[in-house]
Amino acid sequence: MNPRTLLPVIFRLVKDTFRQSMASGICWLLMGLSTICILGCLSASVNGPQSLAAAGENADFLPRFDREAQDAHKLKQSGVTVADGTLSLAFGAVRVAVARDVRATVHFFQLILAAGVADTLGLLLTLIWTAGFLPGFLAPQAVAVLLAKPVPRWGLLAGKYIGVLAFVLAQAVYFVGGTWLALALRTGVWDAAYLLSIPLLLLQFAVFFGFSLLLAVCFRSTVVCVFGSIAFWGICWAINFGRHAVMAAEAMAPCGKFSTLLVRLADISYWILPKPVDLGCLAFDALGAQTHFRPILEHNGGLSLGLSVLTSLLFTVYVLIAAARQFAKMDY
Amino acid sequence: MTRPIVEFQNVSKTYHLGLLRRRTIHALRDVSFKVRGGCVFGLLGPNRAGKTTLVKALLSICRPTAGTILRLGRDAAYRGTLARIGYLHESPAFPRYLTARAFLDYYGALSLLTRREVAMRIPRLLDEVGLNDRAGEAIAAFSKGMLQRLALAQALVNDPELLVLDEPTEGMDLSARKLLHEIIHRRKAEGKTAILVSHSMADVGRLCDELAVLRGGQVVFHGMLAELTGQASQEGDVDSLQEALEPMYAGPVHAGPIYAGAAS
Repeated sequence: MNPRTLLPVIFRLVKDTFRQSMASGICWLLMGLSTICILGCLSASVNGPQSLAAAGENADFLPRFDREAQDAHKLKQSGVTVADGTLSLAFGAVRVAVARDVRATVHFFQLILAAGVADTLGLLLTLIWTAGFLPGFLAPQAVAVLLAKPVPRWGLLAGKYIGVLAFVLAQAVYFVGGTWLALALRTGVWDAAYLLSIPLLLLQFAVFFGFSLLLAVCFRSTVVCVFGSIAFWGICWAINFGRHAVMAAEAMAPCGKFSTLLVRLADISYWILPKPVDLGCLAFDALGAQTHFRPILEHNGGLSLGLSVLTSLLFTVYVLIAAARQFAKMDY
Repeated sequence: MTRPIVEFQNVSKTYHLGLLRRRTIHALRDVSFKVRGGCVFGLLGPNRAGKTTLVKALLSICRPTAGTILRLGRDAAYRGTLARIGYLHESPAFPRYLTARAFLDYYGALSLLTRREVAMRIPRLLDEVGLNDRAGEAIAAFSKGMLQRLALAQALVNDPELLVLDEPTEGMDLSARKLLHEIIHRRKAEGKTAILVSHSMADVGRLCDELAVLRGGQVVFHGMLAELTGQASQEGDVDSLQEALEPMYAGPVHAGPIYAGAAS
């Protein structure tokens, strides 16, 4: 089948996925949550020094708890220069003292939205809510008529997968674009680094939804897809984080606390499986929030974000091929 | 003789079921027959005879364990021929969020029709199945009979050379049944072929020219309708058809065909 014939089919499958998401209410639910976040950003404002860093200097704005800011008054009395900024939310109803300049405060806020809200809560909710799309599509009574059409089986699967990705992309654009615009309008910080979260979110989702697709083809059960993909995300996250923790501990104090076998196992699992923590690190990186943890690993050759993205993508491609092969040989 | 549009050559299908896949079911055993073009071919048999499995194997929904299926002159592994086939599933599940028009647009695209072709055919098809006034309504609001009509329109969306109907009149009212008969007769007059899987003797008697009866996954009869009923007329009456089929439905399953008609 040539691509020119397949493309309109993929387009219809994508369109169908959007219709399905609207009919099931998932589209409106996600948009509603995003709208709440956007409104929250519209109600926020930041007061403080415009910049504390010298030109070209990367002002690391972690750690997250600003004890220094709360003690600002005492520190000032003792002659220390303190960035006594304020982050106010809900049109000033909630005020939080911050020891950052305006730009870093906005980046910090964006980091919470990207890594906490979208990349963790949003990713898990979307995985759960979209998990039913494929088992429903692959139910024998529904899929039999589709399989009697001339479209190759892998084309049907690819169309549905791309459809769900397109839906998630639209949601990510709305959430990230909306919150970015709202914060920029309120604070005057127009740095576009936060927008990098859009492809990162899509990549994260593509990896774990690929696994959900494989489960859907093998088991045709929404429950298996939901719990399977969430458990897989948890395992990948734990291995990714655990491996970095082991590597960092070994690098800082090489006392042989961990057995060679454990280190080797953690390393092999890390390189085979997707790396949600590393993908999240890219967002940290873009927002300039990462100067403590990463260099330790990088100096020991333990972390390469480019390789992390590549190996996560390779895993996804492998899982998608496995799903397509399984679907091709299944009887309905 | 008209060229065969479908040919089954020693087709067998075995399912392995259970957690360890140890339970074996022989759904089809060495099935061989041809369906000539331009006829209405009836596929009959008691429940679990293998009729639906045979239809699924024909449409590449499942793969035969052994044997060859030729579809429109080509091996069934070639999916391109499916663009010239329409299929009505015995109990279809449709995306309920689609309107009737969007539904046909979707399935038309999957049949590799161009946007223009689909746009031209949809109003005509909806009119043909009596759903023109409900074109913009969501399928969720449709009755079972209306869904059957829509399913029929879906099977006809690509104006197929071969129409495969699995229990098409299940849940249809009299007018829908009459409509189906008219469509099949008209298509037959145009030289198009239909395979009808049915338990309704009235439908079989009125529509079919040729029959194959399956039992236990084997062909126990293949021949013209008149050969089975022993009547000169092509249109068999329900009683004589039922009488002729009774021993085939209830009798023992042999290793090979026990009533071989001339058409094979």
